[in-house]
Amino acid sequence: MKHELLPIPARVEAIEPLLPGYQLFTFVPEQPIPVMPGEFFEISLPGVGGFPVSVCDLVRDNRLVSCIRRAGRVTGALFRQPSGRQVGLRGPFGKGFPLAEFRGKDTLLIAGGLGMAPLRALLRALLNDETRRDRIILLYGSREPELLLFRDELMQLAAAGRIELRFSVDFASQLPGPAGGVFCRIGLVNELLEGLELDPLRTVAAVCGPPELYSCLLEELAARGLPAESIFATLERRMRCGVGVCCHCVTGGVFICCDGPVFSLARLRQLEGAL
Amino acid sequence: MQVFPSYPCPQEFSTGLNRQLQQKSDAVWGPVADATGSCRLQAIQDSSLVMSGSLCRLPLKKLLLPNREQVWSWRAGLYASPPLPVRIAVIGLPLCELQAAWYLDRVFAEEVEYQLRRSRLFLVGTACQPGDSCRCRPQLPVAGDLFLDEDRLWLLSEAGSELFDELRSGPGKQERLPLPWPEPPEKPEPELDRDFFLARRQAGVWQREGQKCLSCGACSAVCPTCYCFDLLDEAGLDGGVERYRVWDNCFFAEHGKVAGGHDFRPGRAERLRFRFEHKKLGFGDLQGMASCVGCGRCRDVCPVAIDLDSIAAELRVES
Repeated sequence: MKHELLPIPARVEAIEPLLPGYQLFTFVPEQPIPVMPGEFFEISLPGVGGFPVSVCDLVRDNRLVSCIRRAGRVTGALFRQPSGRQVGLRGPFGKGFPLAEFRGKDTLLIAGGLGMAPLRALLRALLNDETRRDRIILLYGSREPELLLFRDELMQLAAAGRIELRFSVDFASQLPGPAGGVFCRIGLVNELLEGLELDPLRTVAAVCGPPELYSCLLEELAARGLPAESIFATLERRMRCGVGVCCHCVTGGVFICCDGPVFSLARLRQLEGAL
Repeated sequence: MQVFPSYPCPQEFSTGLNRQLQQKSDAVWGPVADATGSCRLQAIQDSSLVMSGSLCRLPLKKLLLPNREQVWSWRAGLYASPPLPVRIAVIGLPLCELQAAWYLDRVFAEEVEYQLRRSRLFLVGTACQPGDSCRCRPQLPVAGDLFLDEDRLWLLSEAGSELFDELRSGPGKQERLPLPWPEPPEKPEPELDRDFFLARRQAGVWQREGQKCLSCGACSAVCPTCYCFDLLDEAGLDGGVERYRVWDNCFFAEHGKVAGGHDFRPGRAERLRFRFEHKKLGFGDLQGMASCVGCGRCRDVCPVAIDLDSIAAELRVES
């Protein structure tokens, strides 16, 4: 497929603060950029630079919604702009979550930190399917209760019985939610698997978090009996072009930006250096 | 091995060719000796200084994928593509440059910016004398338009055939022939396969050579098939912005780093292995195809004498 480095102009329609250092941006490009959950696109600020980001919601009416953390020079500049400004977008890039694999199966979503953002897009896709009767379990770990993204929204979904929710935090003086309302423990997100009833052969897992999360968690899921073909993780790598050329993201000889960023554990096991 | 339509070289062909190339292009480039005796690929001012078939310091990559190339500009909220690249004819290219062009053409097959620039280059190869560092790999395919030997020519593309038809006087007898490869002083190491490489991921040679490596990146800079790039913005005083594609280098500290500071290739040994993998085994769709054309530039330029072929040989010994 032909691709070019020239971006599509887009307007920043809305900026919503989520947490200190995290904002929800809504972009409206001049031409549709249909980014699916787990796929990504590039945001350019002329004169500053560009960075890749996923969507945290389904693209509707040509609106791309992303949860962005202020992490460096370019995101810093984006945070300083008021809404209404113009940016440049390129995409969609990569292969996202294979939605068909999640149909008719229980879904186990495991997020660490900002990894909640792409999983929220997947969650929304799953919830969007009104015929769906299968379980959706979300295990979400964060450093502190105050850094749980979309906390109220997730707690409402849990209260409505649409998802089963468990939080974990590294440190906390006070746990979130009314007493007994939400399962939350102090520890690492993989500890939330303890005591969790799963039907491993009819469960599909999607994991997104920092690199350290993958080293043990994915194999732990396999050890629980989930087939390696049903465990999906999205890899973070440096991506500049998004189309498998510039070479920064290559891992195990494969361009993460176009073969991934979402891979099954079965595939990741074959990719040297991926985990 | 590839074969191409080949004809005996008509009389005065290269004189006619040079005239035509001058007329059809904005500039004619070739390997030119500079005052220090070095050979550089540059616009030809004085044809007596052309060193046909010589290996230039920097390869043809500098025209295929310039070290600093504008990819767009932005003014008053509007993005614009850069001006049309100039038409350049390049003569006197050794065969390994045409192999590198084939490889980069494949890598950038779908990219609009590269293909536009590429469509405005006309490449003429010529027979070469292998140098001390050459380890030619005739099995790799070539791209280009024409190839000239002393008394024969080969038509490598449609554009090359058209130009030949304009220049030839008589019919001439066509044969389909392989290109005339020179005999290099040394044979390259045989191709590696991926399983062999993966099984030797922890081989001692990576640490040993990695400790020597200065991470200067000279090997990638002079490599005809190294194409890592970054994108950088330049803001002008008029409020306009230009985005440039610039060469990047897998030995540089930022190459494997993501926002937040995690570095996927923090050490020199890992970076060296990464480049080795790219050169000898290929990435992505081109996995299984070595991109090293055996020109030997990386060996010559390395300040600490790291040589990928020696590493390949050591991997075999260590097994």
